[in-house]
Amino acid sequence: MPLEGQLVTLREQKRDDLPFLMSLQNEPQTQAWSLALPPDYTDIMYEKRYEAREFSYDPDEARFVIVHKESGELVGQIQYTSLERRWSATMGIITATKFWGTGVALDAQEVLLLFLFCELGLRVVRIFTHSGIPRAGRLAEKSGFQVSGRMRQAIIKYGGLHDNMVMDLLREEYFARHPELADALPAL
Amino acid sequence: MPNAPFVGKTATLRPFEVDDVKALREYLNHPDLMGRRHIPWGFPEFLPLIEPQVHGILERWATEERSVVLAIDAHIERQAWGLSGETSQVSELVGHAEFTWGWDPHAPSVSVVIDPEHQRKGYGTEALFLLLQHLFAFTPAHNVSCWIADWNDSALAFAASNGFQAAGRMRRVGLYQGHSYDLIITDILRPEFLQRSAERAASAQEEG
Repeated sequence: MPLEGQLVTLREQKRDDLPFLMSLQNEPQTQAWSLALPPDYTDIMYEKRYEAREFSYDPDEARFVIVHKESGELVGQIQYTSLERRWSATMGIITATKFWGTGVALDAQEVLLLFLFCELGLRVVRIFTHSGIPRAGRLAEKSGFQVSGRMRQAIIKYGGLHDNMVMDLLREEYFARHPELADALPAL
Repeated sequence: MPNAPFVGKTATLRPFEVDDVKALREYLNHPDLMGRRHIPWGFPEFLPLIEPQVHGILERWATEERSVVLAIDAHIERQAWGLSGETSQVSELVGHAEFTWGWDPHAPSVSVVIDPEHQRKGYGTEALFLLLQHLFAFTPAHNVSCWIADWNDSALAFAASNGFQAAGRMRRVGLYQGHSYDLIITDILRPEFLQRSAERAASAQEEG
């Protein structure tokens, strides 16, 4: 079932999406973590990654393709990983440079947060980013994330040393920003 | 820099052996260590461990990629039997020390766990120093972090006394005694450790 936002739809990955998703991984500008994701994904490698996902009643991650509603174009990918049921997950987003500054990333982020807090019942959502890509930190802050941890010079990117940043958003902080939603879960 | 890796004055770090299961299980099940024993993901952090689980932990420690867990053997002086008054040195398993580097050896993390019966004797400090010495001498580590539960005051003091600086926190990582808690992040940079290491060597030279 797709998750609907105002500007975008989040849906499952399809085989036809793979060339686009691979191009995002191979684009240095859209790669936050240069060492982890060298920009040499091949079609076959990406296909194997896609096929490696098995059915599970206990999945700890989900990956969604972001589709622009108006044009039908693929925007990027948003995912959550490291899911601890009814507790926490880590979120990540990657969007094509063409859509930077258009508001679609924020819309996708809000759609996924709604799902994580209201459907999965999480108590906290995290984002790991670094000071070398301030755009990512600013996007997270727009949804209420705050920088809670900052490891000095822990990231190498663009030939420099940058701080690794832990950002998080607590359940009550999310609902405080969304008075239109009611939180039925009792506080811990 | 070290002549014999992982060998200190009061403790030695070595690989775990199957024979360590009994002693390992004993200290892992010490009530004071619940929630801070740094065992692999998937094993219960707050429950007593049965022997097959401890075997499972050893297996994971031995096979996990990008992570090294070493046994901490304390060098303990023992009085000999009889009237001679002689002492001999024995080695005793008192904890474990780990470093793990995920996908980036530039920024690994460390942890040290000491059997509560052997705490406050300097073994943790020695083990941590040996780990850091190895990381900065044999790997490209630049930032080494140590993540500690906010309720674990003794570990926070331990990290601070060994040069780790506060780097913020990861909020709401779990529940402890009815309350959610945070992980406090601490870190030390290569130049900071090298400075401390030089000061330690100078101090040892003065003493000795």
